[in-house]
Amino acid sequence: MPAANPLDPQQVVDAKYEERKLRPGVTMKRTICGSCDIACSVVSEVKNGRVVRVRSSDNPIFRDNICMKGIIAPKGLANPNRIMHPMKRVGERGSGKWEQVSWEEAFADIGTRLKTIIAEHGPEAWAVSTSQWNTGTDHGLGRRIMNHIGSPNWTSGVALCAGNTAAINRFTYGWFPIGDFQNTKCIVLMGHNPRRHSWTPMYTWIKQAQARGAKLIVTDPRRSSSAERADIWLPLKVGSDAAMMFGWLKVIIDEELYDKDFVKQWTIGFDELKKRVDEYPLERVGKLTGCDPEMIAKAARMYATEGPSIIPWTPITDMQRNSTSAIRLQSILRAICGYVDVPGGELLQGFNPDVVNESAIEMHHVLSDEQKAKQLGSDEHPAFTYRGQERFRGPTKKVWGQEYANLIMGCHMTPPSSLFRAMAGDGPYPVKAFFFLGNNPIMSYANMKLIIKAIMNQDLVVAHEQFMTPSAQLADYVLPADSWLERPWLMDSFGWTSTVRTSEKSMEPPGECRSTFEFWKLLAGALDQPEIVPWETLEDFYDYRLENLGMSWEEFVAETDVHFKAPEFRKYLKTGFATPSGKVELKSSALEELGFDPLPYFREDPPTDPEYPLMLFTGVREDGFFQTGHRHIEEMRERHPEPLMFVSPGTAREFKLDEDEWVEVENELAKISIKVAIKDAMPDGLIRIPHGWWKPEMEQGAGHLSGALKYADAQLCRDDEDYLDREQGIPHIKGVPCRINKVPQDRVKVVTVAEAGYAE
Amino acid sequence: MSARERWLRKQERSARLAAFLAARSSRNKSLSDKICRYLVNRATAVKPEDDFMRDPLIDNDMGFDPDELDRFQRGE
Repeated sequence: MPAANPLDPQQVVDAKYEERKLRPGVTMKRTICGSCDIACSVVSEVKNGRVVRVRSSDNPIFRDNICMKGIIAPKGLANPNRIMHPMKRVGERGSGKWEQVSWEEAFADIGTRLKTIIAEHGPEAWAVSTSQWNTGTDHGLGRRIMNHIGSPNWTSGVALCAGNTAAINRFTYGWFPIGDFQNTKCIVLMGHNPRRHSWTPMYTWIKQAQARGAKLIVTDPRRSSSAERADIWLPLKVGSDAAMMFGWLKVIIDEELYDKDFVKQWTIGFDELKKRVDEYPLERVGKLTGCDPEMIAKAARMYATEGPSIIPWTPITDMQRNSTSAIRLQSILRAICGYVDVPGGELLQGFNPDVVNESAIEMHHVLSDEQKAKQLGSDEHPAFTYRGQERFRGPTKKVWGQEYANLIMGCHMTPPSSLFRAMAGDGPYPVKAFFFLGNNPIMSYANMKLIIKAIMNQDLVVAHEQFMTPSAQLADYVLPADSWLERPWLMDSFGWTSTVRTSEKSMEPPGECRSTFEFWKLLAGALDQPEIVPWETLEDFYDYRLENLGMSWEEFVAETDVHFKAPEFRKYLKTGFATPSGKVELKSSALEELGFDPLPYFREDPPTDPEYPLMLFTGVREDGFFQTGHRHIEEMRERHPEPLMFVSPGTAREFKLDEDEWVEVENELAKISIKVAIKDAMPDGLIRIPHGWWKPEMEQGAGHLSGALKYADAQLCRDDEDYLDREQGIPHIKGVPCRINKVPQDRVKVVTVAEAGYAE
Repeated sequence: MSARERWLRKQERSARLAAFLAARSSRNKSLSDKICRYLVNRATAVKPEDDFMRDPLIDNDMGFDPDELDRFQRGE
């Protein structure tokens, strides 16, 4: 348990730099934390066959990469409410009536029912929602089976978080870069706010860079902790990031601060881009963003002249109606300023050639063109579907050595809203089987009501989970999932970087919990195609992936905890870029061929209803939680006992709100209950809704869903066309009109963890 | 060769050296690996008074007792 009081600070500091000796009876494993998706390299300490402690790595390059979610993991994963055995639904869907079955019984039935659905409706009637980031050992095997069976309908939370960024970056320079924090001289955080206990390594890198003298520019409506220590903070209007970048480009182009040689030799479409940028004089950008034009110009000059600069990936621009344009504008800024693939800039690393990468494991080439064409949403919102990424196959082969590069799993996805509409019966064909693994879909995408309807309309719903999430409560089968402490992991960053890291198995999985690898292996067998996943064990599979190195998994783990590919830099000088033209496409030929504007643009907010005078944004993680997880951990809930709506003092006065008062936040779709927290850092008129709230201690089953129907932000997230990015079909959740309803406080019944007798 | 090109090449050499040191430091087996780790450790350590990663919750964490975890998992 974390000690209640700090020790002597000097003792703590001294202890950190000593070799950490093991306590008696304790063994040590080098692991990668899976408590969130940052994947920090850490150490787990094992005693009596149990992980008893998680601490930071002894490797100095991973120094202090650990947060509160990591150190609580041994207890969080020992929670008595963890799912330990396969469960089959025996009552009505969502009735909460289950019977325990064996894995073999479960997959015999799942296989039979899935084959029946495929025979009746075609393979495209089977959809999957997951993320390798959450499951660890999927490694693309799910896609591999889907590709062999013939279904293109795979979606993921990465559709609005990093995966889509990766796919859209390809339209400009053919790959997804990683910022070189170690050598950069200027960092731009667009709404992102890494902290000590959230995005911890990124927080470390930024602070280290600042200590070296690097500049920090923050664009954020809130006065975030990052904004407070920034050299320039631009408090822009929520959702106006793309307009802000047009302003920066206007300054950089007009004042000729860009890299003229690079632009001349390595880009196409500069003149057309300049014309588009000229539509955004600073006065207009000032009005669109609510920021002082002089400050916008100052930030643009700092970015262009203090460099090499980086604009690290940010989830903020992944979740806007202008997402494609915003991501493209980031790419364009990087390119014209000459920051692509240079030290201190944005590195294009490619796959690590020593390891069979997950894109190759997925075997996208076996899915026929006919089935690819059936991918839901690829007609309306194709950017990250097979259709949208088709034009990069040849160039990617030429530059990066293989046709399919499913970077961050995000380059061949089905747009989630298109999938859920089809599952609900409003699509071009029926989708009748839905699997989700390490994913809580009803709370992870926009329009929760639609997703519930979609799941209720299925013939077969299978969940692979550690806990009975609101989504799992609606499944036909809930199969117990292992955790990162209970299995090995070969982590290749999903193509974002070329480093490969290892995580040792620290303890046996409890009960009948099994890995995602085993889940897919059993499914391949149940579909009478065991040859699709031919490896007996996860370790055998890793031996196969490491064959190029001439090492077994065991030898590789013993050798190192991180395997690098030697950095190349400016690879494009030899190969060009992996775009159709071989150059940086400021004007995207691929977008043009898909029928979209080949240049970035800015869609303003649609007219708002005076009934909803405020704006909300959501998608924000709180330090103690990752996405919709960790609500069962008492220590984390003590830190965040209730969902809190952040509101400015001015807005609180205007709407007569008191601190800690329960209110409803309502829009056209739904209303949720939430507590008021008045924060100086918030601008007037904007409220912050935390992501992913439910309470495991509350009543389960349809109609309740453990409080998800009362608290979940996904209910307020719209997916109508005004609130979808055109090219990708992902939702705009950074600026949604809403109102606050006062409610009588005596009607608010708060059930605490202790009162519910949960996890006591 | 332009001044920018010279600067870039110098930066690239320096970044390659850093990657080499990080790789050897991570292996940490031979004497030369351990020297690399020592160098990386020195390069990345910060003075205690400047250590922004200090956090009582993390620094004072002593982990759990395995029996306590067993009992907790059984709901006792």
